[in-house]
Amino acid sequence: MSATLLRIDDLHVSFSTRRGMVEAVRGVTLTVGAGEMLGLVGESGSGKSVTGFATTRLLDAAGRVTAGKILFRGQDVTKLRGDDLRQLQGAAMSMIFQNPRAALNPIRAIGLQIADAILTHKRISKDAARAEALELLRAVQIRDPETRMNAYPHELSGGMCQRVMIAIAISCNPALLIADEPTTGLDVTTQKVVMDLLADIAAARGMATILITHDLGLAARYCRRIAVMERGRIVEEASPKALFGGPRHAYTRRLVAASPTAVSRIEDLVTEEEREGYAAIISKPRQELAAGTPPLLEVRKLAKRFDQGAAAVADFSMTMAGGESVGLVGESGSGKSTTSRMICRLIDPSEGDIVFDGQSIGHVAARDFHRSPFRKDIQMVFQDPNESLNPRFTAFDCIAHPLMRLDGLRGGDELRQRVNECAERVGLPLDLLPRFPHQLSGGQKARVGIARAIACRPRLLVLDEPTAALDVSVQAVVLQLLDRLRRENDIALLFVSHDLNVVRMLCDRTIVLRNGGIVEQGESRALFDNPKTDYTRKLVEAIPHFEAGPALAAAL
Amino acid sequence: MLSYILRRIVSTLPVMAIVALFVFSLLYIAPGDPAVVIAGDQASPEDVERIRQSLGLDRPFLIQFGSWVWRILHGDLGTSIFTNLPVSTMIGQRLGPTLSLMMVTLLLTIVVAVPLGVVAAWKAGSLIDRVIMGFAVFGFSLPVFVVGYMLAYIFALELEWLPVQGYTPLAQGFWPWLENLILPAIALGCVYIALIARITRATMLEVLQQDYIRTARAKGLGQGGILFVHALKNAAVPIVTVIGIGIALLIGGAVVTESVFAIPGLGRLTIDAILRRDYPVIQGIVLLFSFVYVLVNLMIDVIYTLVDPRIRY
Repeated sequence: MSATLLRIDDLHVSFSTRRGMVEAVRGVTLTVGAGEMLGLVGESGSGKSVTGFATTRLLDAAGRVTAGKILFRGQDVTKLRGDDLRQLQGAAMSMIFQNPRAALNPIRAIGLQIADAILTHKRISKDAARAEALELLRAVQIRDPETRMNAYPHELSGGMCQRVMIAIAISCNPALLIADEPTTGLDVTTQKVVMDLLADIAAARGMATILITHDLGLAARYCRRIAVMERGRIVEEASPKALFGGPRHAYTRRLVAASPTAVSRIEDLVTEEEREGYAAIISKPRQELAAGTPPLLEVRKLAKRFDQGAAAVADFSMTMAGGESVGLVGESGSGKSTTSRMICRLIDPSEGDIVFDGQSIGHVAARDFHRSPFRKDIQMVFQDPNESLNPRFTAFDCIAHPLMRLDGLRGGDELRQRVNECAERVGLPLDLLPRFPHQLSGGQKARVGIARAIACRPRLLVLDEPTAALDVSVQAVVLQLLDRLRRENDIALLFVSHDLNVVRMLCDRTIVLRNGGIVEQGESRALFDNPKTDYTRKLVEAIPHFEAGPALAAAL
Repeated sequence: MLSYILRRIVSTLPVMAIVALFVFSLLYIAPGDPAVVIAGDQASPEDVERIRQSLGLDRPFLIQFGSWVWRILHGDLGTSIFTNLPVSTMIGQRLGPTLSLMMVTLLLTIVVAVPLGVVAAWKAGSLIDRVIMGFAVFGFSLPVFVVGYMLAYIFALELEWLPVQGYTPLAQGFWPWLENLILPAIALGCVYIALIARITRATMLEVLQQDYIRTARAKGLGQGGILFVHALKNAAVPIVTVIGIGIALLIGGAVVTESVFAIPGLGRLTIDAILRRDYPVIQGIVLLFSFVYVLVNLMIDVIYTLVDPRIRY
């Protein structure tokens, strides 16, 4: 093992909140060797990001290191002040963040943002800094770097923004880079490209990296050592092989089990207790539909063009039977969300028709569709439960609203009873109903979103990345819930996602989209086991699995 | 960019047309026969009839409006009933003092308020923040004339640092010009300094929460670079908006301030014209102020696009 670069010793971090001090990190001890890539894994609230921010001294004003040391090259980072601190930040130690677009100044050209970092630490002319910035854009493999120098973040894709962030982070050749969920929110292929780039740069420059992520598979693929955090402590530290082969701590075991792999089934993801009852449901054979039953949904040659641009979706056709689950996968920009929104009648198609239960609904204008009798039959669960719930509505209001609007309930006992039913159906404790979204956890918010969607007993549920913002253990429970709703209530699911493992488990059939067109479709398991097109193969291969870990480790 | 500005100018035309219609209707909205109103209390029926014919009031409304607009487009704002001078000449004479007062006030406001707001946001929750915001509340609550008389009493009468009132044109030297404007500008600016300091603080607080500020800190940028290069420019759009609204409000404030400090500007002219029911002068002034306001809004829209590349034009 190489020389120790960073040594965190019994670190405690507390945040002052309205309800007093909250301890986010309680005694983390960790070492990182020079040039090493360490994975720091845990679910939201485990304190992994706080540990990273404490190390780079970027904690919010409310956060405070209450005990412990962070020794970087033997110097205690927690005691640095003023210029000493600034010489460290961005120079010897740097950081990249989740949501790269928000992490870049929206009104400053990216070339200038890179040059800012260089000029802060080096005494060189502006022109020289600009030239260096251009070199860095080349190093992070941005095409046409001369033109991109003058681009603004909103003109770049999420993956490109993260490359710019990497360029900023490596601009002064740091010895340590802390990457806080660098690829969360990027699609799988972009994730692979960005992570490969990061790993290459780290190896070429001998830069140590801490990869903070909730994705065990990702950490396993790129790191030789993984530390697992739970509630402010490190509960286990091991190689990926040991971690997946024989996790010692109960929390790690649960985390490993909940992480979808290429072969897992939904019932594998949850614990023994949760699995009971579920087994009975999936063992029940599904009712065969009588021959000649018309499809629930038929989409014919759907197309969408936004003003002046190229077609976002073109010539999209599909059918779905009642109670069927279909996955819609593809990279960002492939048109999957646009398609799902057209089917939900939230936006108007430019061409084509949508037939639901034998009736054409494609020509009802999206803004009038709320008056259609089919509105209650087609409901949607949105991507981010934080953003899609009205912050001024309680969980009860959220679920009650569609019932009042679409089922004509006026309030009183009947409404209360229906809301309670929905909450129970999704496993939301009834005492949480008076709460506002900010008083609920991510998983509870996801349940509110699903309860709202199923409140009017829809026949088709369109889900746009419903688990992308959730921890794996919560994701496992939500997936199980969705599968159960489908089997018990015969709700058809159209599942939009870039997470192929999830789609494979939940969906009977899968449609692969690229640039607004269908490239491949078929029965999910067969499609992923045996992709027919290069594009699908690329998507499948980009999923980080633990299995890839040892191969990489052996190569090093 | 140029085509954007042109399009914006074209889009202001309907606004100006509606303003013109409203201004022209002033005469008719006022109670009574316009000719009687203009002729005044002691006029004989013959006088009224003469005025009616000379002003063309016997013709249909739209024809009158059309010819009025036609004359304005040729720079003819009509003739004052009271002084018999062309309205454009009267406004021209009074424009200098008012523009001077507004510009000095605006400059003072921006130079004082924006840094105060930035500091308050940077040190949010601290003593400095509370002192600045305390002053802001104070500045809000004091009427212009109270501040004006207080300043005149302290700095002009007691300390004798600055003149009590009056106005000296810029042509007679910079300092004599500025000397007379300092106290009025402070009196008039108080409310705007308070308003803009508060808006700056609120916007900056929001911007300082953003992820890219954290990135700037991660780069090792100093406090000044973070506050002024990364944060203030991002906070600029709301601040510029409020400054623009402030200019509109300034016009009203200038009327009162000019009375307090005896500045022979448009404010005084407005009051005199209203008291004398000098309708052509009132129309001319309202039209001018509306035009200035539309122009300021146009400038603000252009500034938006310069500040924020995400705003498409």
